[in-house]
Amino acid sequence: MTPIPAGPFRPLPNIIFADDFDRGLEGWTGLIGNYEHSLDSILPGFRDLRPPMLSNASTWDTGTGGGALGTYSMKLATRARAQSLAVGIKRLTFSQACPIQVETLFTFKPEASQLRLSLADVGAIGVILDLQDDRRRVMPHLRYQNAIDGQPAGQWQFKHRTPNFRNIGDSGETVSHFHLGPDGWDDVPNGQQQLCYNEIATKQNWHYLRVGFDLASMSFTALQCNDRHFDVAALQPMTMPAMPNLWCMLNLVFFAEASADRRAFLYVDSVVMSADFGAVERSDGS
Amino acid sequence: MMRRSATAVIERNTTWSGSFATEPWEAAWAGEAVFFVRQLSSEDGASYDSLTARVQISPDGIRWVDEGHELILRGDQEMAFVRVGQFGGWLRLAGDVGDGSARVIVYLSLKE
Repeated sequence: MTPIPAGPFRPLPNIIFADDFDRGLEGWTGLIGNYEHSLDSILPGFRDLRPPMLSNASTWDTGTGGGALGTYSMKLATRARAQSLAVGIKRLTFSQACPIQVETLFTFKPEASQLRLSLADVGAIGVILDLQDDRRRVMPHLRYQNAIDGQPAGQWQFKHRTPNFRNIGDSGETVSHFHLGPDGWDDVPNGQQQLCYNEIATKQNWHYLRVGFDLASMSFTALQCNDRHFDVAALQPMTMPAMPNLWCMLNLVFFAEASADRRAFLYVDSVVMSADFGAVERSDGS
Repeated sequence: MMRRSATAVIERNTTWSGSFATEPWEAAWAGEAVFFVRQLSSEDGASYDSLTARVQISPDGIRWVDEGHELILRGDQEMAFVRVGQFGGWLRLAGDVGDGSARVIVYLSLKE
């Protein structure tokens, strides 16, 4: 049994995993677009997604900050280029189509390469699920848009419109759609939130995030960040017909996007995914 | 205790010309590292005589200093590597291609 870390976590009864990055990356890896024959066949947006690394969050002025609950966290670092993306993914399958919940502690900062606040240099950080049941592939997308056009934004958003699929290669077996772009995001109703950024670029405060999703109804059940509980009734996931080879897929993704020509860092610690296996039996009345 | 390890692809299908540096990589958890630079065949005909990549270390991921080891990858070679230990918290490669360009994939293999 994976131990549940200390902190604000309130998981559902069944723990799917609880990743403490003091034990390594624990199955988190980089994301790459689909390809055939050559890496040049990858859709442009997918070609240079930066992969995760283990960080002890050391800064030039105060040294090691560590993780939220230990020494290391998972760090997603973009290139020093506006709209560069860093993405970490963990790939599982589900054993029951039931309510699931993702909890984590996260913080984000730009690279402290200038002696200024840099409040608007991180564009967005986000979390995505990639799911498939017997009928549908479903991709719930959520992000916190920290800044837009160099100005602080502080807005939670979701994306439900599906980008066009494109054929990859010449076999007819591979398709791809770039769903991570900055386009197509809608505001979460009343989704404004000011997060504790602190007063210089090297002071990091960890935030609590909880996302609930029901694999039976394929709908959001919760979005909480720190003390804010957002109404998810209007939130829709990206939905498309089921695809070959993806049955019972349960992927979890975190990402960071730079809004300036400066590296954007998202740090994630102690990711807990939990489920309520009993919900199916209760709904059957058995 | 089994030793933890991880291989990162720190550049993929990247074209180097002139001076280059890989993205900063945090490696404080690891005690030893090997960089591999592999040349990818290129439809655009990228070619060069020889590239040199120096291992660099950093206290903060921003300011870098040569560690002392380097690798050389000739234009007619597929792959070269360089081992490094006792590197502190950050690693990268920096170097020069000289004339021409090289399309590469770069691995950083880390182990406790």
